[in-house]
Amino acid sequence: MSENSMSSTIISKANIAVNRFGYGASDNELAQAEKDPKNWIKAKLHPVAFTGDFPHSNNVLIEHAKYQKEKKRQKKQKSMNSQTGNMQASSMQASDMQLKNKMTINFSRLALRNMSADTLKQAITSSNSVSWRLLDFFSNHFSVSANGQLMVGLAATLEREAIAPHLLGNFEDMLLAVEQHPAMLIYLNNEKSFGPNSRMAKKLKKGLNENLAREIMELHTLGVDGGYSQEDVIELAKGITGWSVKRPGKEYGEGFVFRAYGHEPGNRKFLGKKYNQKGIVQGKQMLHDLAMNPATAKHVCYKLAHHFVCQKPPVSLLKKMETTWLKTQGNIKAVMLCLFDADEAWLNSAQKYKTPREFVISTLRALSLKKFKDKALLSTLINLGQQPFNAGSPAGYSDDEQDWLGASALMARIDWTTMISSYNKRVNAEKVMSRSIGNSISQLTYNSVMRAESRQQALTLLLMSPEFQRR
Amino acid sequence: MKNTKTINNSNDLPTSSLSRRKFITLTGASLAVLSFPMSSAFALSSNKQVSSPKIVWLLLRGALDSLHTIVPTFDQQYKTLRPKLSSSFKSPLLPLENGFALHPSLKNLHQWYQDNSLLPVVAVSSGYPKRSHFDGQDYLESGKSEIDHDSGWLARAIEVKNKRALAVSRSTPISLRSSSQVNTWYPSNLKDADDDIYAALDKLYQNDESLRASLESGLEVRGLVGDKKDKKKKRQGKFIDLAKSCAKLMVGEQGVDCAMLELGGWDTHNNQGTRLNSKLSELDQGLAELKAGLGKEWQNTVVIIGTEFGRTAKENGTGGTDHGTGSALFIAGGAVNGGMIQGDWPGLKDEQLFQQRDLMPTTNSFGWIGNVLSQHWQFTEQELLQVFPHVKPYNQVLLRS
Repeated sequence: MSENSMSSTIISKANIAVNRFGYGASDNELAQAEKDPKNWIKAKLHPVAFTGDFPHSNNVLIEHAKYQKEKKRQKKQKSMNSQTGNMQASSMQASDMQLKNKMTINFSRLALRNMSADTLKQAITSSNSVSWRLLDFFSNHFSVSANGQLMVGLAATLEREAIAPHLLGNFEDMLLAVEQHPAMLIYLNNEKSFGPNSRMAKKLKKGLNENLAREIMELHTLGVDGGYSQEDVIELAKGITGWSVKRPGKEYGEGFVFRAYGHEPGNRKFLGKKYNQKGIVQGKQMLHDLAMNPATAKHVCYKLAHHFVCQKPPVSLLKKMETTWLKTQGNIKAVMLCLFDADEAWLNSAQKYKTPREFVISTLRALSLKKFKDKALLSTLINLGQQPFNAGSPAGYSDDEQDWLGASALMARIDWTTMISSYNKRVNAEKVMSRSIGNSISQLTYNSVMRAESRQQALTLLLMSPEFQRR
Repeated sequence: MKNTKTINNSNDLPTSSLSRRKFITLTGASLAVLSFPMSSAFALSSNKQVSSPKIVWLLLRGALDSLHTIVPTFDQQYKTLRPKLSSSFKSPLLPLENGFALHPSLKNLHQWYQDNSLLPVVAVSSGYPKRSHFDGQDYLESGKSEIDHDSGWLARAIEVKNKRALAVSRSTPISLRSSSQVNTWYPSNLKDADDDIYAALDKLYQNDESLRASLESGLEVRGLVGDKKDKKKKRQGKFIDLAKSCAKLMVGEQGVDCAMLELGGWDTHNNQGTRLNSKLSELDQGLAELKAGLGKEWQNTVVIIGTEFGRTAKENGTGGTDHGTGSALFIAGGAVNGGMIQGDWPGLKDEQLFQQRDLMPTTNSFGWIGNVLSQHWQFTEQELLQVFPHVKPYNQVLLRS
């Protein structure tokens, strides 16, 4: 469907480097890329660095524990007051309590808002935006949603603490960091999953939960057709029983903990191989083998090519990437360099329709804006249907045109663009056009922009043009 | 297959269907030149308006636990498999026939059952053999023996009968892909752009088919709902409001013949008791709004409620249930011959479970949906093959005669 509907405009290599691989041209990037587009983009793969004062997942866990303790105390106090009939004390304390609870709830919400907005702003202002696109890709690959008070606080810490440090390193390290991170363990309910024959299960009457194990295989590594069975799901779930999160206030410290008493004793048989390790090593070995499995290489390389290149990546490109992956044991930087080196990645017509996030980032880059209101940025993404950390499913947001190019979604995009253009009425659309798209533009779009009835309309038409909506 | 009833409308008369086709063509043409308001195009059909049989397809994404929704209180195994969940109900279960009972949050649905307009079907499955949400949903939406991401069963059904559909969604779900008679609508709280921008964009999109198609259907729907006047925008996206708007878009002369709604949040791996108390109540209230909004049309309506698969028969270690197989289907509406349970109960003993783990499906969801299509929309067996190429419809009497 998308192939025949693409505009046939030929896009230049520099445009591809900047707009398809990066998050869109800002300032004079298009001119910089002109000389040697391939090496320009290859040199833009840098580690991403988070600066600024944002809470660590440990702080979130501590705040949450305080909140729960306070809630418990208040409940007790309330019932005591009602027993003694002390109504005055009761109402005074009630307002004090509400205030305290509100503060904790605000702590989580602020953490989420500030961190999600910070990532967006860095992507908008960065001079190596391809690296931020790569971060967003893996953040969506290991998607967590901010559901419930604790996850609201934790969701945005995962990409900072577990993904960014390994962005250009080995996939195995990223995988392990993610599956041991409190956000993922709590999101997919592994923190309370205990082996049916463990001491903890008997004492607490708790048992196994397959959720994380299943999604590790289906989404994070092998892919749904990666050749595993229901038994494998259960075996992996057992292998990672006891992978949990400390409860501040009730035990010393915070963050990931291995609860040996909750681990299912005995050997595991997983994907046809025997695992006779004891304790945490057993699950780690399973994750190591999953990371090294050729099905994982296939699954992740396909997703990368599908995201960075086109809807149906050519087999020859996938082969090159998979070979590099297997040769380097899943080195992400090597795989990305291989993608940039492949001619198949440089198809000279538009291949992808921008997701709302890509569209908003590239628009603000094209306008070379440097200052934003966090709230406005985030409400834009909410209205366009891609609120950060709110995919609502561990599969993350879709990367397909058909999921974003709906009638209602397009109308919302037009409405937002009209609004943005009305805020930037002094902007010269012609300049923005040459800076962001260059000469890869159809006569029709060029004429429409140049002959628009107002500057505002010219900018709206440019940003909503097929050339800007696609990459 | 034998049609047990004739619905009181003239849709199968040649003159009427001709005028309907003509009307759709005219509507499309008027959109292409962006003539506003839309009402002039619709006025052509106004003197012949007879309300047509309507279908609402509601997909519960995330795998509803049917055993916690239609509870088999008579089955000895139930309490053994679910010691915690079986005692998590806050108020008494609502009795159905043969010892089945509805979850106490489903008050309105229970009333429908008593009014003979609700038909719960137990132990169904789409035939999807694995336990991935995403593939499971795609399979149920696609309705073919292999997942086809570009074609859905409801889209194929409206193509055969030349009906118009609406997806209450930001973009078209698989169920409604591959038909040109589908629109999407979803509330937005952005200020609408000016009309002249739309005209300019329509011109700009002349070489980009998909952008142009989305723009044109977006404009069509915006003209109908009039979201500008909607003051309650803060609550946008809540199921209850979506159901209300959905009803609005289905009634009146311009109302669509069928609509699709989605509701997520059913993946209850933990804390299922509490979560389903509120989730099922949200579902129940939304459906009540849908019925209220449909007004007289309710008598002409069939609502089909399905989910991608069921959940484990046994509760898990965290007060929830994991991905399973057999689940339930609800067929509801004023046109339904309800007040009874459909489907065969397979039992919950170890050897009766699928892979000794999940509720064993005894019938196929598409068989029931096919049955609805044949009785409600007069599909012949031949026509149904275009919708469900691999599943034959059942022939129980599901609708009122």
